[in-house]
Amino acid sequence: MVKKHTKPIVIKLKELKKRYGIGNAEHYALDGVDLIIEKGEFIAVMGPSGCGKTTLLNILGLLDRPTDGDYLLDGKAVEELSSAHHARIRSEQIGFVFQNFNLVPRISVIENVALPLTYKGMRKMKRLKEASRVLKNFHLQEREYYMPAQLSGGQNQRVAIARALVNNPSIILADEPTGNLDSRASHIVMEELSDLHRRGNTIIMVTHNPKLTTYASRVIHMLDGKIASDTKIPVKDESKTEKIPLGHGRKGKE
Amino acid sequence: MRLLISDHLSNAYESLKSNRTRTFLTGLGITIGVASVTIVLALSAGVSQVIGKQISALEGNIAVIRPQSTSSGDITEQQSFAPSTITEADYAAIKATSGLMRSAPLMIVSGIPTKGTTKPSGTSVIATTPELQDIAKLTVKDGQFLDEHTNQQTAVIGEQLSVDLFGSDRSAGQTFTVKGQRFTVIGVLKRFNDPVNFNTVDFDRTAIIHLAAGKQLSGASAPLQQINFQAKDSSHLAGVIRTVDEKLASAHQGDKDYTIVSGDDIARPTSRLFEIVQGVSVAIAAISLLVGGIGIMNIMLVSVAERTREIGLRKAIGASNAHIIWQFLIESLIMSLAGGLVGYIAGYVIAFVISTFLTFDPVFTWQIVGVAAALSLGVGVVFGLYPAFKASRKDPIESLRQYH
Repeated sequence: MVKKHTKPIVIKLKELKKRYGIGNAEHYALDGVDLIIEKGEFIAVMGPSGCGKTTLLNILGLLDRPTDGDYLLDGKAVEELSSAHHARIRSEQIGFVFQNFNLVPRISVIENVALPLTYKGMRKMKRLKEASRVLKNFHLQEREYYMPAQLSGGQNQRVAIARALVNNPSIILADEPTGNLDSRASHIVMEELSDLHRRGNTIIMVTHNPKLTTYASRVIHMLDGKIASDTKIPVKDESKTEKIPLGHGRKGKE
Repeated sequence: MRLLISDHLSNAYESLKSNRTRTFLTGLGITIGVASVTIVLALSAGVSQVIGKQISALEGNIAVIRPQSTSSGDITEQQSFAPSTITEADYAAIKATSGLMRSAPLMIVSGIPTKGTTKPSGTSVIATTPELQDIAKLTVKDGQFLDEHTNQQTAVIGEQLSVDLFGSDRSAGQTFTVKGQRFTVIGVLKRFNDPVNFNTVDFDRTAIIHLAAGKQLSGASAPLQQINFQAKDSSHLAGVIRTVDEKLASAHQGDKDYTIVSGDDIARPTSRLFEIVQGVSVAIAAISLLVGGIGIMNIMLVSVAERTREIGLRKAIGASNAHIIWQFLIESLIMSLAGGLVGYIAGYVIAFVISTFLTFDPVFTWQIVGVAAALSLGVGVVFGLYPAFKASRKDPIESLRQYH
């Protein structure tokens, strides 16, 4: 495929290992994972419980450190960096979407979305403006000053996705984003993610649900800490993969 | 720091607001602690000020001879319980020292002024010479003070004693008895309002009689509580003290069972006692502050536990450990500083209310402001640091997994 050489590599994993326990209890959650993720891919990571997919996601998100192996994010080795440095990378390059949304319940929707910008040192007015702009893309603008508890599960997850997106991350990591949602809300959320993908965002999603793989551009099956299969799904509609700048613009365009 | 302090403040405000009652009660613990420290310090500063004023009013030419050696300065030397080692003979010996302007012995007579069946409590009888009026700066508002011409059966009484005995502050001509001996009031002192003074006598509740009359009442030996003397001026004082010391030493056969104090030292036995009382009171007040601090730590630990998932999330979206530490530390600081401010104000309000029952006023000093501020800040930091560190050390993965 021609695409492979034209798109920049976002993530490169080499012989990545994660060991838990020592001695007899030693157990490799990740046992030598090699993976290259290009910009704009929508990857669904599948596999049974305990296959290491969440561990992989945590390491990709710099919430966990690999025991062994290399992790290059945007061409830079990151596994050796200090935890403060990791925090900065998380705030600038990574967006998280969680199964249970993880919105801060006592602050409004817009403040939740603006939260990652706080850690970039952005001033409050600018933060809220950015957050408002992102929320507009999710058609949640009129709910900006609602509290998370006043929204439905699907809306909460869309707010969470907006939050993951607000700092223009290189990658969006989603851990079972529809795990707590009914099928209707799941569909809406997946459409939203799929839309992000079409706009050129890189998404890595861990899921149990085989139906969701239809939204992905690449499906990785994991088993016992290793990648068992790696399938690229042919793009259905070429025109939709074109980069459409998101409301707030992608990195490098600002 | 990349995170602005205003963000931390608004963040802490939101979180404290979401638990109003809890925040209020936790802050109240600090309020009570700081208020009690402030009350104690403000009132004891008031006492020190009273004594300090008296010392400066002494014009630097007064010295006092007290029984027993107080050179060790130990508060446990209870002079008042030991038989006095100064006698009237000593007074007679030093009376004529050159350079000495006037002197007055102070004999505490063990008796209660009595009128019929009225025996006011807390009163005392002292026997002295007319010179006391000038040394102790006593003012007579009705009648006259003792002098050489008034006879042995006359007395000058304090205003409060006058009211207690006769129901009036103008009682000249009235009579009362001490140990069966009849005395006629020839003067009433102007309200002195200083129960704390270098004579250790509350002049408002005292009957002052002639030394000779006092001797009759307490037997011929006449031990003296203290002898006050006044040099012609302050430059003569050192020389006078030296001469008086020599005279006393020879009279006591070299036995140094007395002490001569001047200047700030005159007020020392009393102010030393107050220092100790003040120290103990502050220590007790500090305990309530400690309890308040434990309250802060407790509530912050609860808060950290409750917000484990939020901590995990904040870390996931880019908060560093330092961010988390500050977030929680500032929360505890807001509680302790706000509590401390309210406590400081409340402390002064209470101190003023208390002072209406006392003879001195609470004093405002910057030292007390500093102590209150330092205490609240210190408590906030000391008791907020551990929960904040605990929060920052949380593993984001574990934290996010909570309640799954």
